[in-house]
Amino acid sequence: MSPRRTDLPWISLRVVVALIFAFILGPIIITAAVSFNGSARSVFPPQGFSLGWWAEALSWKWAEPMLFSLELAALVGVVSTITGTLLAFALVRGRFVGKSFVEMLLLGPLILPTLVTGIALLQFLHAVGLSAFVGFRGLLIGHAIICLPFSVRTVAIALRTMPASLEAAAASLGASPVGVLRRVTLPVIAGGVFAGMSFSFVHSFTDVNLSIFLASPGDKPVTVAILAFLEYGFAPTLAAVSMIALIIPLLLIAVVQRFVPIGDFLYAQERPNA
Amino acid sequence: MDHALAGNHGRLIAVLGDSRGGSLRTWLLVGLPTAFLLIFFVAPTAYLFSASVLLSEGLMTPGAPTLENYHLLLSRSLYQSIILRSFGIGIGVGLVVVLLSYPVAYFLVRTTSRWKGLLIAVTLSPLLASVIVRTYGWYVILNQEGALNGLLLATGLVEQPLRFLPSTAAIIVGLAHALLPYGVLSIMSSLNGMNPALERAAMSLGATRFRTFLRVTLPLTMPGVTGGFLLAFSLAISAYATPAILGGPATETMATTIRNFMVVLLDWGLGSAMGVILLASSLLLLLLGTLAGGKRAAAA
Repeated sequence: MSPRRTDLPWISLRVVVALIFAFILGPIIITAAVSFNGSARSVFPPQGFSLGWWAEALSWKWAEPMLFSLELAALVGVVSTITGTLLAFALVRGRFVGKSFVEMLLLGPLILPTLVTGIALLQFLHAVGLSAFVGFRGLLIGHAIICLPFSVRTVAIALRTMPASLEAAAASLGASPVGVLRRVTLPVIAGGVFAGMSFSFVHSFTDVNLSIFLASPGDKPVTVAILAFLEYGFAPTLAAVSMIALIIPLLLIAVVQRFVPIGDFLYAQERPNA
Repeated sequence: MDHALAGNHGRLIAVLGDSRGGSLRTWLLVGLPTAFLLIFFVAPTAYLFSASVLLSEGLMTPGAPTLENYHLLLSRSLYQSIILRSFGIGIGVGLVVVLLSYPVAYFLVRTTSRWKGLLIAVTLSPLLASVIVRTYGWYVILNQEGALNGLLLATGLVEQPLRFLPSTAAIIVGLAHALLPYGVLSIMSSLNGMNPALERAAMSLGATRFRTFLRVTLPLTMPGVTGGFLLAFSLAISAYATPAILGGPATETMATTIRNFMVVLLDWGLGSAMGVILLASSLLLLLLGTLAGGKRAAAA
């Protein structure tokens, strides 16, 4: 059905959708406004103007957890992408005993609530004498687990949608197997690989449900630091910190999208964790 | 030529890890990640089940297996109301998400605007923000001296600021806002997969636009609606941040209770049992959804 742009149902739909967009963007715009608030309370509309909250948000107190989250998310992105890419190659191209078992195993972290994965891993680390892992290493393991299915999925989709004739053509023209992989296959699936990496990064960077259990006093991702700070109140500093925590993933996606089109893989991302 | 190609292709596949039988390379490609998941995902989950049937003394869980943790959680009215509240929040969030997602998804799929790509990006962009960032905005709007109260006072609709926080309704609004993109994605993929000729057929046979939507479009996209609802439900009942920020002691949910058991009270037995209850609720719903989907597929 191609609706006429001027009839009543379509116009009323547009009005409803505009209201829902206001609902989607409202809280984010309001948070941005509050971060420039002149008063010490989280009020809207802001009273006066001040950059003080941004200065505080950029001070070491907040830069430390922010950098911790960045480092963690970058490492999670790399680890889950490399593992996920190799696994996707094996699952799409290979035939081996236990393939459906591995495919089922990969569904696990998607089906289980992240919070349950978190408390399970926390207790397990204690039980097997790896209590020292709680902190950065525990978070790395936990985030890699919840991100792996996504990296596998995006790369697998890229591999499946790639025309098989491309590799055959390159091979028949005399390219060596490694040459085909490097010059044909990897560039073609780059979108899937980078989509998986970006989403793993964002997943890790924004995670709460797993991080609240695996963080340690010295190793706190920024989401956990914000939650801890919230127990004392709602200073506008948090609005500024929140904005920085929002800008970082946005920038990353924008930069990656500039070089590799990863947008097509959004539809594959229907089941991340909140 | 064909043979040469096949041979080359065979070597290529060998490089990429195929084996037609299980070479060492394939086993390394598959084995390492599989071992990782078995050790750090499957084993901990199994351990969680065993911890849930042991009584806690501090961090120790000695003694024989017992169902006492489950008995306590399922029989005390405090915990019963926490579990029921979580379900209520899940259902509320699922309904709000589906109701708000449908018009957005329908618009995004059908619009011919050149801003379509941008609008899709804006709809999905909240996924890039941590749920904490988004919930903080709701705190600013809903707190006693917040934006909503300011508006109500300024327009003279109320004389005294209203208390919106902490409340279950605020948690539902915050979570629905956070989970909306999942509903939109789910319904969009259903709408995209639908044959547009069916709508044209219904309308050419005399059905009005509205009737066509009710009798053709909506039934055909129900899988997307169900999927969006289930996704929102299961993510809502296990969400921690939103109930922690917009709720209070009177609006505890399964997730905040688990956090309390695990981190504050250090009763890992009870925390694990509540975790298993949360897990079971999530899986049960998924199963029901799959069954309902299967039934619909069989009927069609």
